[in-house]
Amino acid sequence: MIKILLIALSASLLMGCSLIKEVKPWEKETLAKPMMQFGGLHPEVTKFEAHTYFSKEASRGGSGVSGGGCGCN
Amino acid sequence: MQLIKISTITAIAIIASNALCAENYVAVEFLQYDENDNRVSVSAPTLSASYDIGTDFTVKADFVHDAVSGATPSWKPDSNSGASKRDNSGDYVYKNQEFDEARNAGSIMLTTRFANRDELYTGFDYSRESDFDSKSVSAEYMHYLDKSHNQSINFGASFAYNEILDNSLDSSVQNKRYKDDDEGEDDDIDTGSGASQKEDATSVNVQVGFTQVLSATSMVKIDAFSILDDGYLSNPHSNVVRDFGKANQRLVSENRPDKRTAYGVNLKYISMFGDNLSFKANYRFYTDDWDVTSHTIEHDVYYALNKDLTFGAGFRIYTQSEANFYNQNKDFFSNEEFASSDERLSKFDAVTYKASVDYAYSKEMSVNLGAEFYSQSTGLDATLFTTGLKYRF
Repeated sequence: MIKILLIALSASLLMGCSLIKEVKPWEKETLAKPMMQFGGLHPEVTKFEAHTYFSKEASRGGSGVSGGGCGCN
Repeated sequence: MQLIKISTITAIAIIASNALCAENYVAVEFLQYDENDNRVSVSAPTLSASYDIGTDFTVKADFVHDAVSGATPSWKPDSNSGASKRDNSGDYVYKNQEFDEARNAGSIMLTTRFANRDELYTGFDYSRESDFDSKSVSAEYMHYLDKSHNQSINFGASFAYNEILDNSLDSSVQNKRYKDDDEGEDDDIDTGSGASQKEDATSVNVQVGFTQVLSATSMVKIDAFSILDDGYLSNPHSNVVRDFGKANQRLVSENRPDKRTAYGVNLKYISMFGDNLSFKANYRFYTDDWDVTSHTIEHDVYYALNKDLTFGAGFRIYTQSEANFYNQNKDFFSNEEFASSDERLSKFDAVTYKASVDYAYSKEMSVNLGAEFYSQSTGLDATLFTTGLKYRF
């Protein structure tokens, strides 16, 4: 499992190793698309997914500070 | 004159880029979650809405009703051995305990944009079950570090206050009254008799982040976070066996430490390949003073076949170590202060596969379908199906 994690992490980092370029505000049409949001195309589904993981796993956090508790954990 | 022209273009572009992201909408989503082995089943209709008030304010709200039924595994008396909750002789079995629950939860968030387009998010969350209440307030500020808005920092904090109805097998409760149904092993505690007590817990979540636009088609975000839990953190539905096989063997409620301090880092990267394929990578590291350390890797791709149809796919890999007071066995615990057999605190791996499709019926209306499969090395498997409708105006 650790090997799989390291390979997947390395792939993620390599894909992020492009050079940083200054992007003008009028060049940000692509970045503003719904499919380019960190929260996913459907934030409601993402929120429910996070709730499921919170109720079935022992760790949480890292995706914003909002959100209440639940008796499921 | 040239400067005024550039400033005007910049201002229009910033507002335009915000407008592309922001939209007024009302969405309904129905989520169906089912676990294998007749364990937990959740039906959750969700209603959410977002409304822009001018260009400086956005209000978002959502409401969800969870109808939960099924069973969760824990130690309980083995009726075949003659054991019951009232009599600690006999044997115990680790098996599902049935329950039904309903949860209503809502949240509201206000986004305020300032003259320099910095953003302040303030929110309130509320969740209510028959044995659990939670209220939470949060605030987060996002500050741009450059004029082109390619770099930003964000810092936020939240405070949650939880009230828990403890009807556990705790010794102080154990001798109180049970519902008299003449079936010893399945007796439930009679909450009407006062055989339960309210406990509370607080949670403080602090997060600091940095976002960098890498190019016109990619950006990266890193967040560091800390969570401080304080109060009643045990699971009132989870039991442990102490001193098994001895004269004083007993089935009691688990007991977790009343404080937990966690730290973590979350790294996100998103990029567009070509005109219609987006890729998101996410890695999270988490560790706490219960000795739980976890690694999470998540990848999502969206492919826009045309302007109406978008397909999504993703996977998530998760691994965690076990808490230092966890043990699955019935003959392990004796007089340890902290003890839990809740398998969610065990060492396990998990994987999630997911797929979705979005269809824009018109400029205003779109529908979405999604399916996910979640599998833990503990033997837990689960499916999640979602279907939703979104109306933009």
